[in-house]
Amino acid sequence: MSQNDVALMAHLMRRAGFGTTRTELEAYVEKGYENVVDDLVHPERGTPIDEDILERYFGSEGGYVGIWIYRMLNSRCPLQEKMALFWHHVFATGLGKNQHILASTNQIDMLRRVGMGKMQDILLELSRDPAMIFWLDNNENRKGEPNENYGRELLELFSLGVGNYTEDDIKNCALAFTGWTFGQPIPLYPHGYYAPPFLFVEEEHDNSEKTFLGHTGNLNGDDIIDIIVEQPACAGFISRHLYNFFVADEPQVPSWNVTPPQDPDAIETLADAFMASDGHISHVLSVLFNADFFKEARFKKVKSPTELVTGILKLVGTGQGPQPGMAQYGSATQLMGQKLLDPPTVEGWHTGKEWIDGGLLTARVNFAVREVSDASKPGIQDIIARLKDNGNPLSPEAFVESCLEFAGPLVVGDTTRQYLTEFAEANGEIDFRDDTAAAENQGLLISMLQLIVASREYQLG
Amino acid sequence: MGRPYGLLRAGFPYLKCLSMRRTTNFPVDIAIGKEGRLYILCRSDNTAMIRKYTVEDEDLGTMGRYGQGEGQFTWPVTIIADSEENIYVSDEYLHRIVAFSSEGEHIGTWGEHGTDPGQLNGPAGIAFDPEENLYVVDSLSHRVQKFTKDGKFRHGWGSYGDGDGEFNMPWGVAVDELGDVYVVDWRNDRVQKFSAEGEFLFAFGKSGSGNGEFNRPAGIDVDLHGDIYVADRGNDRIQLFNTEGRYVQKFLGDATLSKVSQAYMMTNASPNRMRDMADLEPQKYLRQPKSVAVSDDGLMFVPDFGAYRVQVYQNMAVPLTEQEFSPPRRSVTLHQE
Repeated sequence: MSQNDVALMAHLMRRAGFGTTRTELEAYVEKGYENVVDDLVHPERGTPIDEDILERYFGSEGGYVGIWIYRMLNSRCPLQEKMALFWHHVFATGLGKNQHILASTNQIDMLRRVGMGKMQDILLELSRDPAMIFWLDNNENRKGEPNENYGRELLELFSLGVGNYTEDDIKNCALAFTGWTFGQPIPLYPHGYYAPPFLFVEEEHDNSEKTFLGHTGNLNGDDIIDIIVEQPACAGFISRHLYNFFVADEPQVPSWNVTPPQDPDAIETLADAFMASDGHISHVLSVLFNADFFKEARFKKVKSPTELVTGILKLVGTGQGPQPGMAQYGSATQLMGQKLLDPPTVEGWHTGKEWIDGGLLTARVNFAVREVSDASKPGIQDIIARLKDNGNPLSPEAFVESCLEFAGPLVVGDTTRQYLTEFAEANGEIDFRDDTAAAENQGLLISMLQLIVASREYQLG
Repeated sequence: MGRPYGLLRAGFPYLKCLSMRRTTNFPVDIAIGKEGRLYILCRSDNTAMIRKYTVEDEDLGTMGRYGQGEGQFTWPVTIIADSEENIYVSDEYLHRIVAFSSEGEHIGTWGEHGTDPGQLNGPAGIAFDPEENLYVVDSLSHRVQKFTKDGKFRHGWGSYGDGDGEFNMPWGVAVDELGDVYVVDWRNDRVQKFSAEGEFLFAFGKSGSGNGEFNRPAGIDVDLHGDIYVADRGNDRIQLFNTEGRYVQKFLGDATLSKVSQAYMMTNASPNRMRDMADLEPQKYLRQPKSVAVSDDGLMFVPDFGAYRVQVYQNMAVPLTEQEFSPPRRSVTLHQE
């Protein structure tokens, strides 16, 4: 098991999942990179999570974000969960407007269910999703009094990107979706949320002839989606989204029509895979994770708050089984600028360096430092056990190296390494060979891990 | 009073609903007290409490608090009342039993986490036997244990598996007036009946959604006639079985607005309009009921977990004597005698 294999697998699992425990990481390495990718893009081969356990111990929609984080930590198909998060970024739908937690959580469940399938199916499900319909006002899009909000964003933010359609295309797209609405759900009071069903109201649908991206006829929403996914622009736009989420930070989406991708060849590779597979997202993901541009992109992305929180929880081993209080981790991501289920606008969250400012960085560091400070947590105990297994007293340099290895492996710059080493040198050789020595040096290990997770480099994934 | 020779099942109509969202969010279980008092146990993420009510839908306040301190609970599962109307709550996270007076005063906590005999590992269902010993389903150790009600261990049985007397994360437990014990074997989708000493008597149920089948059943109760009620959580229903475990009927829910709900709606114009626009059919159905409790006077209380209320039914069964109920038949018949 080479160090490079371990580092590459850790990179894959940070991006395609939410991090790993060290034991999981070593098992993945044993399996081999290509095999792991193949499993990741075929979630149907396994059972992602024990739904019975979720129902038994959690089972209330009010705690959904906490339960979602539990899924992220425990799913045996982490890419499926990561794709639900990816599409949540792209198809950003805000609970703040909807005020209907069940509709919003049903949307996430839908994204989990279809998110690795064909783009055509994903857009169709999205267009029938009550949370999205309400979020972008398609419930008010009627024959004779169209509302273009959903039609516009479908083209601008969800599929093609600015510059790949005309204003007339927007108008006709909107007409094609007239009458796509939902049945009024029973209101929250007095007996809770009821799921709104998708509803097509024939008498509110505009059956006139429409022209959309060069196609003319009595087009409905299904036809619009069929036309969209055939467009090379759709392949390129979704590929750039995937690149931005999984490979390296791109500028924010609104600038994509004027700022070319940083790696046009990579986008072209992904777009080709999209077109060759009839828009099958899992195929595009397979190409992405096996590409050199992905493998060489270690630590080129700022972790999103959700990635930071789940990565830390994986490291320390929190949430490996049902436990109360999972909602606190949703609060933690919110404090760092990512309130799951409630993105700030239809553009979703601004990513990359915009995840970081003085206040948000403080929240990130405080969370990470607090989580690694409890030596009783299974992940910390695992690191102690591995340091014990090393057998010999560790030099300060070797201690730093071991901690970086078990906390990632994490690559740090010379300055950070120097600070870490200077801190370790104050204690001379560090001994974890037996229980007494380990107990004496446990505090030192905690301090070292706190310094590592507080480092600039740890903000990158 | 012994069990009747037979029953004329004259009907089991829906009676009424109790409470609403805000007062009884996510009710997981209910204990029946004296003089119509009810204790509704509510649990969701980061909150848990006991709501004290009456059968007449009067709100008598809140007891108990979420937490890990003395007299608090974190993941409460079951609530029961003893003959003095003291209230007992199992906590599957803190691995303990907490007791309160009927006025909410904390009167005791016991339980030690572990897997040895007498220790607790995810206690779920609890039930008193006729002598007020306490049976505890020790879910994560796949067993049932019997204690005095102040926590002295008597005996226990069960281990992991799907054979007779084995369990897979059992949940609810009930004890009938004869002292026999009924355990909901959650992950095996069945109910097992035992003698008070733990001798396996019979089992019924299998996985599915047909009559008599279960999808991860949770709570259970037995009435004075020996009828068995099972909260078939995954199938959103309560199923009723006779004393031999034969399926009798199911309850899918018939809810109407409770008294307190109606009062609330009379001052809220917007939801009234939305209700007028909605398909109201779903509002009557049970949503993931985790428990069921029957009173000596034939009321069945179903904490309607996903609908924040309690649905109440009235059993109209009439006891029959030997003269009124012919002997058992071996075969079905078409004769109209």
